[in-house]
Amino acid sequence: MSIKGVMRLVSVGVIVLMLSGCWNSRELNDLAIVSGIGIDLVPETNEFKVTFQLVNPSSTATGFGASAGEPSIVIVSASDRTIFGALRQASKRATRQLFFAHTQLVVLGESLARSGINDVFDIFERSHELRLNSAVLVARNNDAASVLKILTAIESLPSLGLVKKTQNTSRVWGENRTIDVFDIINGITGEGDLTINGVSIQGNASEGMKKSNLEQTVSHAGTVMDGLGAFSEGKLIYWMKDSEARGTEWLLNRIEETIINIDSVDKKESIAVNIVYSRTKVKIDIQDGLPVFHVSISEEGIVNETDGFVDLSKREEIVKLEQELQEQTGKDVRQALQMAQQMESDIFNFGNELKRSDPQGWASLDKKWGHIFAQGKLDLHVEAYIRSTGMSLKPYHPAPE
Amino acid sequence: MRKEAIGPSQLFAMIVLFELGTALVVPVGLESGHAVWLSILMALPGGILLYLVFTHLYLQFPDLIISGYARKILGPWIGWTVGLLFLPVLLYNGSRNLREAGDLLISASYDKTPILIIDSIMIIAVMYILSLGIEVFARTAEIFFWIIIVMGLICIFIVIAAGLVELKNLFPIHGNDLWEALGSAYPNIWIFPFGEVVCFTTILPHFSKSRKIKKTGIVAITLSACLLSFTHAIEMGVLGENLYSRTTFPMFTTITLVNVANFIQRLDALVMLTLIIGVFFKMTVYCYAAVAITADLFKVRDSKKLVIPAAVVMLFSSFVSAENYPVHMSEGKVFLENILPIFCAVIPVLLFLIHRVRKKFGLYR
Repeated sequence: MSIKGVMRLVSVGVIVLMLSGCWNSRELNDLAIVSGIGIDLVPETNEFKVTFQLVNPSSTATGFGASAGEPSIVIVSASDRTIFGALRQASKRATRQLFFAHTQLVVLGESLARSGINDVFDIFERSHELRLNSAVLVARNNDAASVLKILTAIESLPSLGLVKKTQNTSRVWGENRTIDVFDIINGITGEGDLTINGVSIQGNASEGMKKSNLEQTVSHAGTVMDGLGAFSEGKLIYWMKDSEARGTEWLLNRIEETIINIDSVDKKESIAVNIVYSRTKVKIDIQDGLPVFHVSISEEGIVNETDGFVDLSKREEIVKLEQELQEQTGKDVRQALQMAQQMESDIFNFGNELKRSDPQGWASLDKKWGHIFAQGKLDLHVEAYIRSTGMSLKPYHPAPE
Repeated sequence: MRKEAIGPSQLFAMIVLFELGTALVVPVGLESGHAVWLSILMALPGGILLYLVFTHLYLQFPDLIISGYARKILGPWIGWTVGLLFLPVLLYNGSRNLREAGDLLISASYDKTPILIIDSIMIIAVMYILSLGIEVFARTAEIFFWIIIVMGLICIFIVIAAGLVELKNLFPIHGNDLWEALGSAYPNIWIFPFGEVVCFTTILPHFSKSRKIKKTGIVAITLSACLLSFTHAIEMGVLGENLYSRTTFPMFTTITLVNVANFIQRLDALVMLTLIIGVFFKMTVYCYAAVAITADLFKVRDSKKLVIPAAVVMLFSSFVSAENYPVHMSEGKVFLENILPIFCAVIPVLLFLIHRVRKKFGLYR
């Protein structure tokens, strides 16, 4: 072949390659980046109302851009029988095609959560754009759309702000944990039930949508992490709060840090202990046809504040505190388990654990697991250690006379 | 014309890339439970034995490919027919690899690009490299071996660093699971990917150091089995049995879950590269095997002339064979259970046995 022929062939090849490379191209300025998705149920028509929080590129581009007048996000909603249908319906309202690869957050309306969420998440698994690791929240006493409409201070994208809020409180307060779509699908397909974090709106929701809301030190409205929604058979049935929620995290071994207040001799709940390490081990066996949950928790804490008097220089006092810690932890765990057993909803993955470690025993339980779980017994061991008392030993105020 | 020669390290790289090929990305062993990693290791001894059968035949007939010694062993008529039967199997199996790569690319990112375009680009690469000869291909394999290893290490490291692997999903293994694992190891994993090494019977005559043939192959197969087992263990550990069995490409789903510090995420491209590289080598080996057998059967002197027709047949059968991916998968199941074992295991072993018998009783003239 002559050199000319070769060159011709090469250029044809190059052109073919180049052309096909752009076949699927979508330019950045044709995309509307979706940062959060809200899913609500429209009861009359049984349709999904899907709300998208779109990033407004002109006002998030730079740090000071947000003062340009436009809010950092735009909300678009659409309804259809399927989520994908709604997603495409949104084209009637949005100027650009929605792009889901950066979706951080999925919010479910409470009414949807109450009527069942098992069939909602298929698109997250099937689509290559939507991700399995988007965080999920339930809008408590509200619809998902209103939660997505609230602007957040400090974070320019409210969805990202909510995700960070979840992470932040999970890390230091311990009543929530980050739960993503992947966890939920595992919860649905597994043997037990699941929990999803709740978020509620405090204040005047219609003010919270305005940008002026952020131009003052106290916002008119804001989103607050609010409890842990317990699901049974895919339906939200109960909001766990405070110690129940913390007990749940304890049983799931998801406590990173938390605070336990302990009574001192003269004042109730006046010694703050920061739990900085906690590990839970769960073993389940079957005795007389009923499961026994062997839970052992070991935790380590630091005394961070003593408003009441306690002589921390004495070993006995510390041992007393440790016992108190064990009791408090045990109380949380028992409350959580009691509540879950009342609901016959195994939100602690005990079913999966039993099936994994003892498949024959699992097979021998013929009745419904939720029912059997409700009759299970708890065998709890807590070991608590106080590792440090901060920068001082005895508090500066004197012991009560 | 100078005979093309392949060195031990090149053969090694080729076998590893061939084994990893698609098996790294698609689920192996059809219906395996959480002990899939164990199944892969269980299938390894069988794979090595099969390889020893191939090498034994090669050492007996160092200049002949499988269709050549089939004629020597079974007589010209039966041997020729057996050789001919290999052709459709090789072409179809090669086209299956092409289809899998094309489908992953389409479902993962090129959702509006016709499969014809994607597949043609890949097959053009195959045609090109085969027109340069097997030696060039072998040297390419040597380079890409390291690329795959480095990419694999990066992926595995990131998945582990992201804290996604839950050993809970892999253990404990009960008695039942062992039997189940053995059931999916033999014959399924034994045949795919280990039995597919039958293609290398057409490449071995180019091997330059026949003394090292056993060692090279066995080490390559063992290494690829370990890598496969480890990768699938990680996929299973991340996804859990339920999701692993449902996803079309477990490795892809695994990688999409990665999110290290909101910074390292969406590494899908690495998986696609892995699949494309693997499929390229697998397809090329299949295509080469088909070409070599055709040339041998029909006495075509310049086998490179056959590359384009073989590749075009592969390209078209890749999308004519099944309307969609689920059909492709179910066809694959039938093919893997019923047809592939005959060509990967039964025929070579029969050749081996008949050869031994004829040799022992002096039945060769």
